[in-house]
Amino acid sequence: MPSVRTTWTWQALVALGLLASFTVQVQAQTIEDGVMMPGKNLCTGFLYAHDSWDEYWEGTLKRVNGNIGTITTESLSWVGNYGVTNRLNVIAMLPHVWTEASQGPLHGMSGFQDLTLAAKYSLLETDFTRRGALKAILVAAASVPLGDYTPDFYPLSIGSASRRFASRLTVDFQAQRGWFLTGSAAYTFRDTVTLDRPAYFTDGQLFLSDQVAMPDVFDYTVSAGYRKEGLMIPVAFSQQTTLGGGDIRRQDMPFVSNRMDFSKLDALVMYTIPKAKDLALRVAGTYTVSGRNVGQATTLTAGLLYTFHF
Amino acid sequence: MKASRLLAALLTCAACSKDIRSLEDLAPSSPAAADASAGEWQMIVLSGPTQFTVPPPSPVDSAAYQAELASIRNAQASLTDEQREAIDYWSGGGVLRWNQILRELVARYNLPPAPRANDTYVFPDPDNPFADPQFPFANPPYAARAYSYVTVAQFEALKVAWFYKHQYGRPSPAQVDGSIQSLMPATNVPAYPSEDAVLSGVSTELLRLLFPASVEEITRRAADERNAALLSGRAAASDIAAGLALGRAVAAAFVARAATDGMRAAAGTPAQWQALANAAAARGEVPWTSLEWPPRPPMLPNFGQVRAWMMTPADVVRERPGPPPSTSSAQMAQELQEVRETVDHLTSGHLAIAQFWNDGVSTYTPPGHWNDIATEHVGAARMSEVRAARAFALLNMAMHDAGVACWEAKFYYFNPRPSQLDPAIKTQIGLPNFPSYTSGHSTFSTAAAVVLGHLFPDSAAEFDRMKDEAAISRLYGGIHYRSDIETGKEHGRRIGAYTVRFARQDGAE
Repeated sequence: MPSVRTTWTWQALVALGLLASFTVQVQAQTIEDGVMMPGKNLCTGFLYAHDSWDEYWEGTLKRVNGNIGTITTESLSWVGNYGVTNRLNVIAMLPHVWTEASQGPLHGMSGFQDLTLAAKYSLLETDFTRRGALKAILVAAASVPLGDYTPDFYPLSIGSASRRFASRLTVDFQAQRGWFLTGSAAYTFRDTVTLDRPAYFTDGQLFLSDQVAMPDVFDYTVSAGYRKEGLMIPVAFSQQTTLGGGDIRRQDMPFVSNRMDFSKLDALVMYTIPKAKDLALRVAGTYTVSGRNVGQATTLTAGLLYTFHF
Repeated sequence: MKASRLLAALLTCAACSKDIRSLEDLAPSSPAAADASAGEWQMIVLSGPTQFTVPPPSPVDSAAYQAELASIRNAQASLTDEQREAIDYWSGGGVLRWNQILRELVARYNLPPAPRANDTYVFPDPDNPFADPQFPFANPPYAARAYSYVTVAQFEALKVAWFYKHQYGRPSPAQVDGSIQSLMPATNVPAYPSEDAVLSGVSTELLRLLFPASVEEITRRAADERNAALLSGRAAASDIAAGLALGRAVAAAFVARAATDGMRAAAGTPAQWQALANAAAARGEVPWTSLEWPPRPPMLPNFGQVRAWMMTPADVVRERPGPPPSTSSAQMAQELQEVRETVDHLTSGHLAIAQFWNDGVSTYTPPGHWNDIATEHVGAARMSEVRAARAFALLNMAMHDAGVACWEAKFYYFNPRPSQLDPAIKTQIGLPNFPSYTSGHSTFSTAAAVVLGHLFPDSAAEFDRMKDEAAISRLYGGIHYRSDIETGKEHGRRIGAYTVRFARQDGAE
């Protein structure tokens, strides 16, 4: 359900971040991770994600639905991040998304989703004990829906069609022996969404308007693992809390402003190609542990990224 | 370009407003005409205003009435913010406000029952409305009937009220006593019995029948309306008591009608559902089947036998459209292909139209959408309460009759949806769980456009365009063939004409 689309950007950027952080020379990064890309370097490539679920939470009630079967969302994203200086990175991302239901008559949807641009600024980087280094990073990210895809066909809409602005703080500890621990939290402001209909019912109330107020979102991620040389095996726990919105009612369709919450576990194996150390491969799996108004999704991601040095 | 949009997002998001106006603005305004003769307008269900007795009010110089005035004066001296808000709210017009409340109730209850663990469905039970499934499932036929009962009962009750208002001619408290403020727009209508109290009484009784689980909210809103009438200086306690009693008495006549109009039997039985399928198969046609999983019983198969307002049962049968293209015909194959090509190459503009008119689960349904449209025109026309009630009653009688006649045809022919004949056809909106021919949207919308076009001739072309768009939106959604739509519109036009014939001679024009 919604989880996939609303957090897709987030997922992919985590993926990109983990990947980039592993490449020894580039060290480069993304929105959540604790590493900065050196100046005059560009890391870019594509990520493919396959996300599916058949069970979902209707409010807090977990169920299956024979009218949709399994919902599958595939996406292919272009990602890029450029080190303006060692302390300032600019990150961009654009996914193309396809959705499909395995049962029932509902038509899938596809299209370009939201363009995200982020500026990442390193506030602090200092030795912390004799065993490692501590970093603190601030990120400002804005997302804008591209095209005119509809947010009014959940669970098959490709996104929420809401302009968003997120501010994020990340703290990272990297031990010299290779272990690392990163914590990252963000508050996301979401702009009003416009529907193509004059009225809707949500959260116990009829609204005679085509404008939908979108509740803001808080999320955090904690990741820990080992990164050294060409191997990286981290795990991450993440949680999203939507700060408002109604539940899906019994046997109702989901709605764009529903209170979509979830907790996810993420596991990753990364590998750099020994003979082409600027080329990185990544395979990751994410599992939704618990949720509300979202599908219990399993996501597999594969990416190929290349770093250019200018 | 993209960068500038991003920058705009960055700059403006911090100021995003989270306040969405939930209701239409209903600006308080005085009616352009008082419609003093409305007590003589033709009745629909009632025999006439004297079917009900409204005792004469006490004189305005009586001690009892003077005491009522004193209590209004006292109350106005210390109005709370909440009371002022209630006065402003109900200044928008009782008929219009109750229409909004009704639309909200329909949307709240427009959810199909969830399947049980053993893949069966339980029907909503009016005697156990708070259970799962909640009662009612306010689907389009249920909603069409609900809108019509509430609005017709309001209209009839107000005609009776107008009769007695002008018989007794008692002015409002603010007119009698200069020290009482008039906090609602002046109506130039005598105060006894209070029209606001009539509306509160008749609406409460009908709504608690139709939406019993919301009785508490309905009762509270009705009390708010009466309090607002009193505190605003529009009605004294005795005006309100007489109005409330009259509203309730009129409602009883409609509650009795509703008990015997055939709705109880509308869901039918498994044997009847099977008989419908067998009859279609015997004609050599592919019978409709539910495409939901688990398969859901069809939506109210006997709604076509529910009593209409302006049509007799014989009229309903006589107006039934001829048969759809045979499911094995070349024309059907061609129409099926049109549906498939439409959904697979849908433009974003057509998708927007499909969604604009979708009015599916959790919405106020297509009849509610036309009440929404009518609200704007009724509000702008500055009608008296009784004339506003007439507009909604005429509109909703026509749509109820359209629902009855359309359902009669749907279950007579029991024709499959496009996705049943060709599972490769995926729909861009939810697929309704009842036969395809004819299109309910087309029938409802055309009947509505015919009536609204009669009431507001300056906007007739606009209504006509809207009904065409509502109708074709079902092809864009992939849930109807073109012949369902074209035939539905023609059917709806004939049904709407029954109500217009009544409107031409009821004495209001």
